[in-house]
Amino acid sequence: MKKKQWFRLDTAALIFPAIKRYNWNNVFRLSATLNESVDLEALERAVMDMSRRFPTFFVRLRTGFFWYYLERLDQPAPIRRDYAYPLTHMSTRELRRSCMRLLWHENRIAMELFHSVSDGGGASVFFKNLLVRYVYHKYGVEVAPEGEIVDIHASPQPEELEDGFYRFAGPKAVGRGEEDAYRLTGTRDESGFNHLITGVVPTETLLEKAHEYKATATSFLAGVMAESIMKLEKRRLPGSALQPVKITIAANLRRIFPTRTMRNFVLAVNPGFDPAYGDYPLEDIIRIITHQLAIELMPQTMSGRIEENVAPQRNPVIRVVPRVIKDVIMSMVYSSTGERKGSINISNLGQIALPEKVAGYVRRFEFIIGEQYSYPNNCSVASFGGNTYINMIRNIHETDLERLFFSRLVELGIPVDIETNERQ
Amino acid sequence: MYCVKCGVRLQEGTKACPLCHTPVLLPEELQSDRELTYSDLFPKEKTHVRYLSLAFVTAIMIAVALVCFIMCINMYGEIAWSGYAMLGIALGWIWLVFPFWFPHRNPVIFAGVDLVALGGYLLYINGVTGGHWFLSFAFPVVGIVTLLICTVIALYRYVRGGRAFITGGFFIAVGASCILVEFFQHVTFGSEMFVWSLYAVTVFTAIGLFFIIAGIIRPLREFLHRKFFV
Repeated sequence: MKKKQWFRLDTAALIFPAIKRYNWNNVFRLSATLNESVDLEALERAVMDMSRRFPTFFVRLRTGFFWYYLERLDQPAPIRRDYAYPLTHMSTRELRRSCMRLLWHENRIAMELFHSVSDGGGASVFFKNLLVRYVYHKYGVEVAPEGEIVDIHASPQPEELEDGFYRFAGPKAVGRGEEDAYRLTGTRDESGFNHLITGVVPTETLLEKAHEYKATATSFLAGVMAESIMKLEKRRLPGSALQPVKITIAANLRRIFPTRTMRNFVLAVNPGFDPAYGDYPLEDIIRIITHQLAIELMPQTMSGRIEENVAPQRNPVIRVVPRVIKDVIMSMVYSSTGERKGSINISNLGQIALPEKVAGYVRRFEFIIGEQYSYPNNCSVASFGGNTYINMIRNIHETDLERLFFSRLVELGIPVDIETNERQ
Repeated sequence: MYCVKCGVRLQEGTKACPLCHTPVLLPEELQSDRELTYSDLFPKEKTHVRYLSLAFVTAIMIAVALVCFIMCINMYGEIAWSGYAMLGIALGWIWLVFPFWFPHRNPVIFAGVDLVALGGYLLYINGVTGGHWFLSFAFPVVGIVTLLICTVIALYRYVRGGRAFITGGFFIAVGASCILVEFFQHVTFGSEMFVWSLYAVTVFTAIGLFFIIAGIIRPLREFLHRKFFV
């Protein structure tokens, strides 16, 4: 009998199976819109290449007595037609078959991934390599391995499979204690439809504006988002009941620590401010966020945060607690510490650089994260081909936040093209 | 084309701004259909697992009821205690299983159905035991409880704001109902009036008034909201 290859979950991945619910799961999506219709046969061949080179992506979620683990699939899951909305619910049943969906619709190839497999940074490397293989099979264009593009015929490197958290854990843990944040609410769309509004803005204009505020694109967008949330909060809550507005930003630790891991290597930071102290103009909000991010993203602080996450796994008592009990405890800890500390997520994948030979076949590249369980809006950003795609997803009917956010960008002199997946 | 309110550029063929829902007004010759970026394929609603689980629970409950019935018939030759057991199981099914057959449950309707079922169960007990308390006591009490619960749920569900007043009103109504309950107790069982109901009225009215005062005095309401928000 063929031996099944399996992988332990990395440190950040442990939480996701424990917190999944019957109607919610932590899944994100990457998609590329090509100039021509997708050739399914070429895509299938590209996927076969990828399954040999990136084994940790072609896995299913299995349950052990003490921990969950990922089991490698004998065959990649079939490529399916894309749905009417992104990130349809990935049930536990589906996760037992495959943790990744590969989808197509007209010119678009998309992958939707359960967060236990990888984060946005790792998945984007995978997806770029998939596009390279697709272009090879479709047009015969070969790209030499360089940078993020790997040699598809080589074996996976041990560094790509490592749990980076263990390697870069610091000597002392940094505590989690911080204030709860204001959370948005709205009328839930019970049908499960994920409403998506995409704002397309010119990257150059966005960066110019961000630099005017002495900020990066991420902290600038986070600032505008925080200001929009503050306006909403002031409309909905009386002055003395105001709570801090905090933006959860996923920090790609690969930019801080040298590793090529394809597993999760990301930590969330929650910069923000408390509107109960008074009015904050946009300039001040952006300055606060920029400075808080600078402190939080220091390697010393981050290694302390990593240690905080790794330490429980080293504890022999915790290791031998049955998974069922760990699930309950982790779920409770996440509910009381994880989701309560942010008002919204902003995940910026940054500038997507495809090899020159491949970029010409791709018109658009997008990144979408799903909503959190306890708050209804999320925002994800990716830049490609001179445009920045700001995807705001929600599971409620109200569009107040999107309206405030995008119209504020327009006010600041950034032209915004709006698209939606809603059928009017 | 641009939204006149938000200033964002809209896709060709957009009928209304996705952000503020302002309709796009164009001459007929310039109107077109918007290009959809997503397919028309919706995921199948996976209701079969839920329905299978519900059918399984229902089957188990029917089996237990049947065992009770057969045992009772064998022991006494008639429906004795098994009547209570079977109707108790039926009541449990109506309360705990029945609502889940419906994907979009309206709590006002199900609270009503649950209390009517409870009334039916009490009517059976009254009939079997030869009691004379159903019409003069159980029926009006269950009726009052049904009315109160359904009203408060409907108000919470359909009235925007004014939660403090609704809650306060509910407590005062509960207090007032206690007098009625004691009255029905007096009529049915001959017990004395005003033995316990006045205490209940005092406590419930005080709680109700506190909520109404909190609804009127904004700082107090904000303090309570800050301390007890969920």
